[in-house]
Amino acid sequence: MVNFNEKPNAEPLPRQSGASIILDGRYLPPPEDKDGKLWVRTSALVQGSPQDLYALWRKTELAPLWQEEIEEVVLTGETTSRWTMRSDDTVITWDSEILADEPGERIAWRSIGGDSDNAGEVIFEKAPGGRGTYVIVLQEFRMSKLTSAWETLSGRNPKQAVIENLRHFKALAEAGEIPRSQEAPHGKRGLIARFKRSLYGENVTTPPGTKVA
Amino acid sequence: MKAICWMGKYKVETQTVPDPSIINPRDAIIRITRTAICGSDLHLYDGFIPTMESGDIMGHEFMGIVEDVGSGVGNLRRGDRVVVPFTIACGNCFFCRKKIWSACDNSNPNAHLMEAAYGYSGSGLFGYSHMMGGYAGGQAQYARVPFADVGPLKIESDLSDEKVLFLSDILPTGYMAAENAQIQPGDTVAVWGCGPVGQFTIASAFMLGAGRVIAIDRYEERLALARALGAITVNYADEDVSVLTAIKDLTGGTGPDSCIDAVGLEGHSAELQGIYDTIKTAFLMETDRPVVLRQAIQAVRKGGTVSIPGVYGGLLDKVPFGAAFGKGITMKMGQTNMHTYMKPLLERIEKGQIDPTYIISHRISLEEAPEMYKVWRDKQENVTKIVIDPWLDRAA
Ligand SMILES: NC(=O)c1ccc[n+]([C@@H]2O[C@H](COP(=O)([O-])OP(=O)(O)OC[C@H]3O[C@@H](n4cnc5c(N)ncnc54)[C@H](O)[C@@H]3O)[C@@H](O)[C@H]2O)c1
Ligand SMILES: [Zn+2]
Ligand SMILES: [Zn+2]
Repeated sequence: MVNFNEKPNAEPLPRQSGASIILDGRYLPPPEDKDGKLWVRTSALVQGSPQDLYALWRKTELAPLWQEEIEEVVLTGETTSRWTMRSDDTVITWDSEILADEPGERIAWRSIGGDSDNAGEVIFEKAPGGRGTYVIVLQEFRMSKLTSAWETLSGRNPKQAVIENLRHFKALAEAGEIPRSQEAPHGKRGLIARFKRSLYGENVTTPPGTKVA
Repeated sequence: MKAICWMGKYKVETQTVPDPSIINPRDAIIRITRTAICGSDLHLYDGFIPTMESGDIMGHEFMGIVEDVGSGVGNLRRGDRVVVPFTIACGNCFFCRKKIWSACDNSNPNAHLMEAAYGYSGSGLFGYSHMMGGYAGGQAQYARVPFADVGPLKIESDLSDEKVLFLSDILPTGYMAAENAQIQPGDTVAVWGCGPVGQFTIASAFMLGAGRVIAIDRYEERLALARALGAITVNYADEDVSVLTAIKDLTGGTGPDSCIDAVGLEGHSAELQGIYDTIKTAFLMETDRPVVLRQAIQAVRKGGTVSIPGVYGGLLDKVPFGAAFGKGITMKMGQTNMHTYMKPLLERIEKGQIDPTYIISHRISLEEAPEMYKVWRDKQENVTKIVIDPWLDRAA
């Protein structure tokens, strides 16, 4: 038996934590990419309650404010919506359905036809030490012919897009806006400026966050 | 507007560029009345900091008059006079709430670049590469300031611009460097570098209780300023001077309680290790020249503290970590947590306790800046600090 029991600030461990990060006290790595499926798992510490953050995320129609290249989300039913994504002149659309909706805790979704095959969940967990909320996203894509369009057209690796979208969500929740510098004035650009822009990921327009000033 | 643009290594130009405008609700537009060139700008000029692009507007030390504010800025109005901190902070993330402002989670739009290099991204900075945010800098006539409800410090007295301008970076930086040195009353503190940051570090070390300060540099005019502050100076370039021996001689063989590296990644050395670093950095096997850091770790007393305001960017070679461990030292460093220090330091200026203008050697126009970057890099003309009036109409 272990007998080192003085832990004044330890908090009880969840038996199972969101997006399978912890199971029975063990850390589990994210699922591996295989059989044409890509996985991405990302998390952020956000100052806010699980309830408020859940509520912001659940407003599906507001996704264009903080998700990259999402032009429009139209609610088509209680749990369904139609998504339009645009990059330059290429547009793709798909329908999405919410599979699980647990207020203040978790939302899970999947696409149900259209130009993208994806599924995901987001979990809102109280962080230890009263530090706010861990927001954890686990998303998978099936990269069929049609969906590989997503990658090409977004100019961003789709995994990175999930990571960036969570970053934008966090900024919107904490700061009330998303930081942006793509409009910064500048002098004469060099010959490889376009290449550098895409290298830095600056060719993907930062979503608007709160509408302008 | 006119602005100073980075156009490649060793190349800056004064160009006419579009004016900035309000983008986000918490933005302000500042009409810049004074701005300065910093030692940190040299790291850009000399090509040490990656992700700069031709046309990027430089500068991160500036102040001015509020020209316009977004709907989310309640505490500033058109016409207010403000000093702007060089680190951009949202005020509400975990780090801002802990007052580790320069680690703000929400101010770097290109956080993924820094995340890839450093594990996590720091705050966005003005005019300091795309990796640090891609924001236009303040060596210009106007600047857009994000999170203007949190950063800019209002100046309500009639103090001259020059007296308060350095609250934008180097005065808080020198102060935090001394604070990070964990000085106890009567301690001996050694400071490498007597540039603007070194100057304010020396002054702050005395303010925080140092009994003795040893200042190290090779430029006599800078050493003279350090002596005027009350420091003992060591000119490391003098014949027969070995810095490590000098420091032992001056501390009874014990070493200083704290060593402060106010030089950073472009440390100069004529010795073999300097040549070694120059060759290695040229071949990209090393990104920084940590000659001063090596000396500071070597020189500090057992159980002492090394504080590092000097900027480092990447991979350092031959850092004597065994010595650091063997002596059980503490190291503290980082971009300055500006927002914590600006107000208390302003109060000291208002009370007349400190006057940071003594370091200014040159006052110039934007047109003169490209030439002055060279002078600044080579430390010619006894240059100690260059202040720019962006509205001064004087050709190069
Ligand atoms: N931590 C921060 O937030 C922060 C803020 C501002 C500046 N900085 C950094 O502080 C450093 C100093 O800035 P500055 O404006 O004073 O620059 P500066 O270039 O004017 O001063 C550097 C001084 O170091 C001296 N020096 C060079 N090699 C030396 C050596 N081997 N031993 C002793 N002295 C040596 C130079 O002669 C010069 O006087 C830079 O690295 C700058 O980037 C950091
Ligand atoms: Zn600076
Ligand atoms: Zn913040």
